[in-house]
Amino acid sequence: MSARQDVEQVFRDAGVVGQVHAVDIDRGVELGVSPDDPVVLASVFKLPLLVAFYREAAAGVLDPREPVTLRAEERCAGPTGTSMLADDVTMSLRDLAALMMTVSDNAAADTVFARVGAAAVDRALRELDLEHTRVVGDSRMLQDSMLADSGAAGMADLWERLDEPGGLARLRALDPARTSASTPRDMTRLLAMIWRDEAAPPDACARMRRLMSLQVWPHRLASGFPYDDVVVSGKTGTLPTIRNEVGVVEYPDGGRYAVAVFTRSHALTAVAPHADAAIGTAARRAVGALRSGR
Amino acid sequence: MERRTAGYAAARAATAFEGNGHGLHKIRPTVGESKTNIALASIVELISFLFMNLVAHLTCFVAVAEELHFGRAAERLGMAQPPLSQRIRRLETELGVRLFERSSRHVAVTPAGRALLGEARDILSRVERIYALRSREGGTLRAAVPGDLDGAVVAALIAAFRERRPDLVLDLVPLGTPEQVRRLGTGALDVGIVRHPCEAPGLVFGPVLAQPVGVLLAAVDAAPDVRLPDLGGRAVAVFPRDEAPGAYDELLAACRARGFAPAAVHESPNPQFALGLVLAGTAVALTPRTADTAGSVWRPLLGGPLVLRTSCAWRLGEEPAAGVGDFTATATDVLRREAGMTDLETPAPRRVVLRPASGFLA
Repeated sequence: MSARQDVEQVFRDAGVVGQVHAVDIDRGVELGVSPDDPVVLASVFKLPLLVAFYREAAAGVLDPREPVTLRAEERCAGPTGTSMLADDVTMSLRDLAALMMTVSDNAAADTVFARVGAAAVDRALRELDLEHTRVVGDSRMLQDSMLADSGAAGMADLWERLDEPGGLARLRALDPARTSASTPRDMTRLLAMIWRDEAAPPDACARMRRLMSLQVWPHRLASGFPYDDVVVSGKTGTLPTIRNEVGVVEYPDGGRYAVAVFTRSHALTAVAPHADAAIGTAARRAVGALRSGR
Repeated sequence: MERRTAGYAAARAATAFEGNGHGLHKIRPTVGESKTNIALASIVELISFLFMNLVAHLTCFVAVAEELHFGRAAERLGMAQPPLSQRIRRLETELGVRLFERSSRHVAVTPAGRALLGEARDILSRVERIYALRSREGGTLRAAVPGDLDGAVVAALIAAFRERRPDLVLDLVPLGTPEQVRRLGTGALDVGIVRHPCEAPGLVFGPVLAQPVGVLLAAVDAAPDVRLPDLGGRAVAVFPRDEAPGAYDELLAACRARGFAPAAVHESPNPQFALGLVLAGTAVALTPRTADTAGSVWRPLLGGPLVLRTSCAWRLGEEPAAGVGDFTATATDVLRREAGMTDLETPAPRRVVLRPASGFLA
């Protein structure tokens, strides 16, 4: 069985449809499963946003230390970070960016997005030649579009609506043509540029790498590499039926691999540990294949 | 959700004009035709040739781009490798760009190739729809049913449709949900009966029916009342996942959530095989009500039934083919009457308590 079929089998066993691109950052050897087909980014959009943020900071357009106050009643909803707190929060822009990356804080991300601006995100994508990547809006816009498209009154009501036949198909947020989207290959290119100090000035790239290595989630990409001496840095993305993670895996022998895994499940189950773990397993198989020639 | 852009029509185009170089010598008027006819015939042939040839080349291109291997792509297209390589080179010459980077062991798509891939798939799926139009004979409704539908139900469906629309020929095939969705999308099928959940943009669904799933047990160990946890760590036989991946995943997830974690899952392509496993004591079968046979009994599941959800589906947009409405009405009626399906009651609200890691936009 080829390495690619091996990875495809992982997805089949987990009951998901998956796409992967994995590349050795220094040697360029690669492995892909539909690596050029468009994918829904979901929260992975926070990665290109982070890159745009640090590029704007480097250009002197914004001050990453600038304090911002997020009013409790104005914050975008979410289960983590400032999104789930009770009171007003004042924090620097770069600390908000840190929460956006480490716990996928929606309110923090939207504040950073508002400060950076859609035009700067587009410009960064263009300048980095990520022609298949598009960021069309922030977390709140995604949330609002899901409520509007499903006819649900609130997020609690949403899952019930999605159970209806055709319920999922109505959501723009799940269609790469109508939401923030990319390809697995574009995402590994972006990661490789961050790891090679090409996405922004070297000190900014170092900050981005640090934030990605501090992401708290253990259940997806990191679950595939249960080794004390391997560093896994990443950013997840989650929506109904969609589970993603893109990141970089670094081995003690210096091998570093950018991996982008995007999956969709058939069943509409929010808690699906095997589907989460399949992301890590698929990544390990892919990286294993890249390392076998080392 | 299997990606299959190179369907019947495209594959046919790929093998047309085999070994004819550019094939231009085919465009030759027949002796005895008037000058006008000659010109017209030539133009029609030329257009058809150019079109076919482009489709053939794009089909080859997509196959190589998806397989990233000339040998496998040739196998998939049912052609030899040298003409395939020749096609790709010709397409590259025609477009003036390299589409693949080839090394001795490795084929990779170039950026230009990636740009072409989306367009090529789009064109091929449209071409397939055009052929589907042409191959549609008047007075025929192409319909599909799930492969595991009971024989009596199929017979009742055909009879009832014949009575309702004696003017139409019903071309009925058994197909799994993913293949039905694919064919509805390309226009190769007019209407189908699918299992839910099925994510299918561009489809319209008829009334959704629920079919309770019970358990088929060997008569010797059949208790009068059966609840899921009573099945303990038994192995279970169910329909194959490929028939309806959404329904399969949902069914097994529901079993686990309600305290029944099967020791093994045997995908059973037909009811006879499932019955065999039950009689042999290898497994219990999760299935809609089936007639008891010697040695086996079917029991409903107490304590909140499992259900399979089923509905008719057809393509959104254009005017549905003649008979789609009648088929849907007939099928819905027959499934209610003959297959023990009921209108889907408003289900108890799905209780979803999101965790931070699986929560919205984590």
